[in-house]
Amino acid sequence: MDKFRAESFLPLTPVAFEILLALADGERHGYSILLEVESRSGGAVALHAGTLYRALARLLESDLIEELNESPDPSSVDERRRYYRLTARGIAVARAEAGRLEGQVAAARARRLLRGAKV
Amino acid sequence: MNARPRSRIAEALFSLALLAYPRAFRRHFGAEMRDDFRRSTLGTLGTLFLNGIRERGSSIVRWTMFPNATPHLYVPTGRHHMFLDTLRADIRHALRLAVKTPVFTALTVLALALGIGATSAIFAVVNGVLLQSLPYRDDSRLVNLWSNNTSEDRPRNPLSPANFLDFQRLNTTLDGLEGYFTFVTPAQLQTDSGTEVAYSFFVTSNMFNMLGRTAALGRTFTIGEDSGVVVLSDGYWRRRFGGDPKIVGQVLSVSGQSLQVLGVMPPDFVFPYSGMLGPSGFTRVTGVDMWLPIAFSGPMAVNNRMLDQAGQVVRNVHWFGAIGRLKNGVSELQAGADARTIASQLEQSYPETNRGWSATVVSSIDQSVGTIRPALLILLAGIGFVLVMASVNVANLLLARSIAREKEMATRAALGAGRARIARQLLTESVLFAVAGGLAGMVVMWWSVRGLIALAPADLPRMNEVAVNWQVLLAAGLTTMLTGIVVGVLPALSSASVNPQASLQDASRGTVGGAMRRRLRAGLVIAEVALAVAITTGAALLLRSFVSVTNVDPGFETTQLLTWQMNLPPRLTAGPERLAFYRDFFARIEALPGVVSVGGTTRVPLGSTSVTTTVQIDGRPVPNSGLPEVQFRRAMHNYFETMGMPIRRGRNFDPKDSATAPPVAVINETMASRLFPGHEAVGQRVRTGPNATGPWTTIVGVVGDIRHGGLEEEPQPELYISYLQGPPVSPFIVLRTVGDPAALTETVRAEARRIDKNLPLYDMRTMSTLRSEAVATRRFILLIVGAFGALALGLAAIGVYGVMSLIVSERTREVGVRLALGAQPSELLRMIVGQAAKLSGIGVAIGLAISLTLAPLLDSQLYGIESFDPMTFILVPAALLLVATLAALVPARRAMRIDPLAALRIE
Repeated sequence: MDKFRAESFLPLTPVAFEILLALADGERHGYSILLEVESRSGGAVALHAGTLYRALARLLESDLIEELNESPDPSSVDERRRYYRLTARGIAVARAEAGRLEGQVAAARARRLLRGAKV
Repeated sequence: MNARPRSRIAEALFSLALLAYPRAFRRHFGAEMRDDFRRSTLGTLGTLFLNGIRERGSSIVRWTMFPNATPHLYVPTGRHHMFLDTLRADIRHALRLAVKTPVFTALTVLALALGIGATSAIFAVVNGVLLQSLPYRDDSRLVNLWSNNTSEDRPRNPLSPANFLDFQRLNTTLDGLEGYFTFVTPAQLQTDSGTEVAYSFFVTSNMFNMLGRTAALGRTFTIGEDSGVVVLSDGYWRRRFGGDPKIVGQVLSVSGQSLQVLGVMPPDFVFPYSGMLGPSGFTRVTGVDMWLPIAFSGPMAVNNRMLDQAGQVVRNVHWFGAIGRLKNGVSELQAGADARTIASQLEQSYPETNRGWSATVVSSIDQSVGTIRPALLILLAGIGFVLVMASVNVANLLLARSIAREKEMATRAALGAGRARIARQLLTESVLFAVAGGLAGMVVMWWSVRGLIALAPADLPRMNEVAVNWQVLLAAGLTTMLTGIVVGVLPALSSASVNPQASLQDASRGTVGGAMRRRLRAGLVIAEVALAVAITTGAALLLRSFVSVTNVDPGFETTQLLTWQMNLPPRLTAGPERLAFYRDFFARIEALPGVVSVGGTTRVPLGSTSVTTTVQIDGRPVPNSGLPEVQFRRAMHNYFETMGMPIRRGRNFDPKDSATAPPVAVINETMASRLFPGHEAVGQRVRTGPNATGPWTTIVGVVGDIRHGGLEEEPQPELYISYLQGPPVSPFIVLRTVGDPAALTETVRAEARRIDKNLPLYDMRTMSTLRSEAVATRRFILLIVGAFGALALGLAAIGVYGVMSLIVSERTREVGVRLALGAQPSELLRMIVGQAAKLSGIGVAIGLAISLTLAPLLDSQLYGIESFDPMTFILVPAALLLVATLAALVPARRAMRIDPLAALRIE
């Protein structure tokens, strides 16, 4: 395989980035990602189940996230729940995307697009 | 997370929606997604349902059309339209291939163009005649009302005027019922240059309003406006008055009356359709030049014989048609029941005239085109079969090609193309062929429709309303797409299931085609032969019927006869004046060079309508409503001799049977045998008319039967009186000539002008023309079905040839081995022809079964043979077997000549 370059994944789709963000705190299962994304965005981003799981499938394929072999919560015996966490590559890509967005925000601020912007 | 549990229905719907995802995805995530769904707290069942639908719909679109497009992990930089890209690539590939194999392409497109074009053309006719609405407002609610003569089983008999008025007054189911005379009247239009004929039609004054049509120019009749006015048809206005808008308000002199022109109807307005007319009438013409209002009182009513001696509207003579509009929510059946109730009331009130008369209600569209419907549906079914055969042929060609391209497909599969991808490419190709065929088919359709309209006999209703409109184009488009998919699906499926490894190895050895393909091809041959048997059987049955009809002896000599109708000058009102005129007329026409003899009658056979009368027989008292009914005509001058009708018994009329002599009649053989069975008819005395009180008429002779109503109609009882004892006003004249009767038309017209300038001759034609027109519809249908039959035979031959050639070329190596091992070439021939014969035999058997099932549907079109005509059912399949075997002979001979060395060297 080619040498891994986080930049080759940029720019990420909003959905992919949201998922990576949600997993940045630790392992989560699909439904919890859904709730997290929804609550953080205040309901602005509503993930459809189909969108979420297809995105998860892609992220798995690209090795940006991985499935846990066992449940981190021993009290839950629900075997159907799969837990996901970021891989090292996932962290690198999320970081690169955040950096890219930061650059864009800075550029927006410099052009006085953000309220309360300092010159 | 206190989730409200979802209902089972919602869950089931969601599970259903999940089916849109690929199986691997479902296996991995499905349970989890269902779980999430159960726990989610969003929305109501309704919104969930909608979300589910949306999810499913968008998933199907995404996964099938843009399998690689969404959701991207990263935003794609360029715009990706995988679906369109693939389509473009497939089309490019198909076009390249099409150009590389021009013969194959041309054949395929031609077959499809003929199939699709002819199908669309026939559909255009069916659409124009059967499906388009009649040119009236809300035409589906219009019904025709008839008297039902239960004793003689004539359910659609005209009404009498008095009964019509009662139905109009008493019915509770109709929103308006209007009447018309069930015949077209040739009226005399008086102009400065002489008298000419104008075909007029009488309707009650509210007819146009009830039909929901207004005049294009001027106005129609107002209610109660019942004399002194006329409305013109668009065609007549343009033809006769040059489309002059100042015609409105002018006064025309028609049959001695002054009529003011109220208006001109729009070009699309037709009333009546020939199906709405009754069996009796003055002329064979059904196109109308002008409409006149019916008066129920006053001089016009007297003129039209609407009133009896007591001044009451006539109840015992039937010549009224009626058309009405069903009230909202009322069905044809309810209206029929209502009409029958009224009829039975009338039966009780007027037993003398109304006993045995019930009522019938028929939808107007049925009344107009009902007679032609079975024939047109036969055509549609026939062309459907031909289209299927053409498609089967094309499918066969494509299948053959897909076998030839097996290596290409295997290579594609080996390089990673999925089954769906290969099937999709092949389907794109076949649809492309179909589209090309459909476009070329439009040209075929355009010409076919024009040809069909030109070929159609004049008495086929509504042919002038046939047009290529959006419905026809839509149907053609759908036919094209469907054909494309149907012809493509077999080859596509068979190619998609290619096993690349086996194929690539196999192909290198030079034999191709698996067991499945062999079965497919055998199926195609069987299907083609079966369909061809079905179509040709139908065509053969129609052909045999046509031959029997044309071989019918009409009872008189149809060659060298010229016939026309004419109206006496209106100034001749008294009997003696008319007789003097006729004496002079016949003498002068007889003296023309080339004339053998001349005569006349009031209704000419094979083309005119008829008129009937009831007869009382001396010494056989019967109540009025039970009197037998016979055809009533007059014989003028040397009518029987001119026609070549033999006098069987008694004598012919002679000049001594004058107006002052005792009344005499000549009857035909059918009347003699039916009314006087076992007795000598000559010498019997009869009285005609419903209320006959006058002197008795003595039967002096019996004349041979003729086919009056048409070649297929059995002879009816006929009674002739001499014109000397009742001179008619608008007779048909028949003229026997030495040479070609058509050559005499101008001589006759010129002589008529010299005799009297107010003597219009019209509807002039030879009896041979009438005879040929009597079978025109039959000939038209036969021609088309015959063409289908020929096409079907050709397609079957090509189909069998194609498949057998393919089989032979596939088995080249096998044949080579056999030959090398000492097989006789003749054995090979027998083997291959035998195989074709076996397949064709199965096809013929299936085709016979189809024909036997469908043949009864042809009954309405058959004459003189049974629908299970043994000769047809033996000869046609035999012919098909022969054709199929011959078609297999060519490739079989090729197999015989295979050089074993060359065949084996291929390896």
